[in-house]
Amino acid sequence: MCYKIVRRIILGIFLFSSWVDINAQEQVVPAAANSSAANPPAEGGGIAIEKVVLPIASSDWKGPRLADGQPNISGHWSNTIANHNNITDPQGGIPNDPNPRRSESGPRENRAPSRVTDPIDGKLPLLPWAQAKVLEFQKGFHNPTKPEYIEPLARCAPAGIPKSLYWHGYEISQYPGYVLFQFNSGTRIIHLDNKPHLHASIKLWNGDSRGHWEGNTLIVDVSNQNGKALLGRSGEFISENAQIEERYVFNEDGSRYNYVVKINDPEVYSRPFTMTIPAKRYTEKSQPNGWHFEVEPATHADADIRLDHYERICAENNGAFGITAAKK
Amino acid sequence: MHRRIHNMSDMAISSARAHVKHIHVERISKLILVSACVLIFVSGCNSPVAPGSANKEIPRLANGKPDLSGIWEATSAADYDLEPHSNRRDAPPGAGVIDGKIIPYLPAALEQKNKNFANRLTDDPALKGYTLGVPRGIYYPEPFQIFQRENDIFLVHQFGHSVRTIYTNNTDHPKDPYDWWLGDSRAKWEGDTLVVDVKHFNDKTWLDRAGNYHSDALHVIERWTYIDINTVEYQATVEDEKVFSRPWTLSVHLHRHREKDFQLIEDYRFTKDYEEFYPPKASEKP
Repeated sequence: MCYKIVRRIILGIFLFSSWVDINAQEQVVPAAANSSAANPPAEGGGIAIEKVVLPIASSDWKGPRLADGQPNISGHWSNTIANHNNITDPQGGIPNDPNPRRSESGPRENRAPSRVTDPIDGKLPLLPWAQAKVLEFQKGFHNPTKPEYIEPLARCAPAGIPKSLYWHGYEISQYPGYVLFQFNSGTRIIHLDNKPHLHASIKLWNGDSRGHWEGNTLIVDVSNQNGKALLGRSGEFISENAQIEERYVFNEDGSRYNYVVKINDPEVYSRPFTMTIPAKRYTEKSQPNGWHFEVEPATHADADIRLDHYERICAENNGAFGITAAKK
Repeated sequence: MHRRIHNMSDMAISSARAHVKHIHVERISKLILVSACVLIFVSGCNSPVAPGSANKEIPRLANGKPDLSGIWEATSAADYDLEPHSNRRDAPPGAGVIDGKIIPYLPAALEQKNKNFANRLTDDPALKGYTLGVPRGIYYPEPFQIFQRENDIFLVHQFGHSVRTIYTNNTDHPKDPYDWWLGDSRAKWEGDTLVVDVKHFNDKTWLDRAGNYHSDALHVIERWTYIDINTVEYQATVEDEKVFSRPWTLSVHLHRHREKDFQLIEDYRFTKDYEEFYPPKASEKP
């Protein structure tokens, strides 16, 4: 029994880098700028499902609400474009990969745009020292002679902010005063009651989050993050003093949202920058998917579909691939 | 890269289990279910009300069921040792939280327990920051937060930030289960008491830091009952035919955190061994 889940998790940790390549024959979605066309027929396996980021404007929320007044967006969600392999060319393979993909990836415009939407050139405005560190990590990753060349996520550390939003699928649930995110690697509690942040001396992988709703948009102010979770396995990073503002902008029928995160970190970047991550909802009618929608059919006697999600455990099952790799 | 691609087929196989669709239901099993529901309903109506309970005043969901939402913590010395014990260098004294006071170990299992006790300062899985399991996560001395909806209850434990799901959507344990750190929890309401059936555990967690332990045959039946709006009585009946000669029951009180601005603070302590290596520092040259 135990073997099954251990194998699954170890595979998950070590194979994530190959998913984009494996699923390179993703469906081609027409580049429509109209948000009402925000329902491309994207079901099925793999990570790199879509190639476009459809804009969703901040506006009123006309959809269903919970008893406490929050827009009801509870459910299973996942990003629609690749994973954390490459920030600026998400479907373009791994930067500085010593074993690059054998097939040509074609012209840049055939792949999804950069995660970076401001500045408009799609590049991360890293300071020179930070750019050098990123390059060092990308080269060191494939032959990790220093502990800092190991992506902390491979040790089961929380994926942090913003990477959790472009890793596996995740569940959002809502309660009076709270929005709860259960990621594949880590859990976030968003407080909606405007209580003060924790003291600045407390540093956390997922930070300390305060949110509020404005129409169709959940706006979250994040402080106290520890800067230890990388933005990607391509090594980009932020410092523990970065200011983060997140906007989760939901479309009219609640089937999609765009995660728009603005990061201001003068220690590492020459200017503030913004990343945009499109996400889609998975429902009982969706096919389970070993990456985006990791659910199992529940055992029960009625005709409707109910879903189980098994426990999200990583470090405990990661054995020699995680904890012990760091023992001194 | 080639090696990785071959392994992908394994991944596809393991995820293929997820595509199994629901099962055709025979009329007879529906009849049994209806009968069971009637029985539960009747027994719920007849449940005795605990002395001193303020059942009308406890928080409730829209469907009338008790709402256990909140941040809870036990104050007992249960996690130091479930059994009665004098003070130790590594533990405060405790009167014990078990009916009958002493855990009824099978002889060979008692030997293992004694070994665990002797090595507790190195062998306790909690020292690695691992998920505490059930029932230990409930009385471990760190808070946990309950997020409750009609069909599910999430317990977010500050320790390890591990999340346990208790299903209250009238579903049963999986037919093809794994062995889980937190087991598989399916619950029913008996009156105002939440009764949770938990099984399919692995054998890697302990029950306390004194080395009390279990095997993968562990089966726990929990009973969660409000005593007043800020106190919950938590009972766990523990069965494990490989380790214990008979079932036994522990009981602790859970207290609601009411301090101003109290919140969980994530405690992923299993990252402590390596977190110093991140992020890169401007002062360290490549």
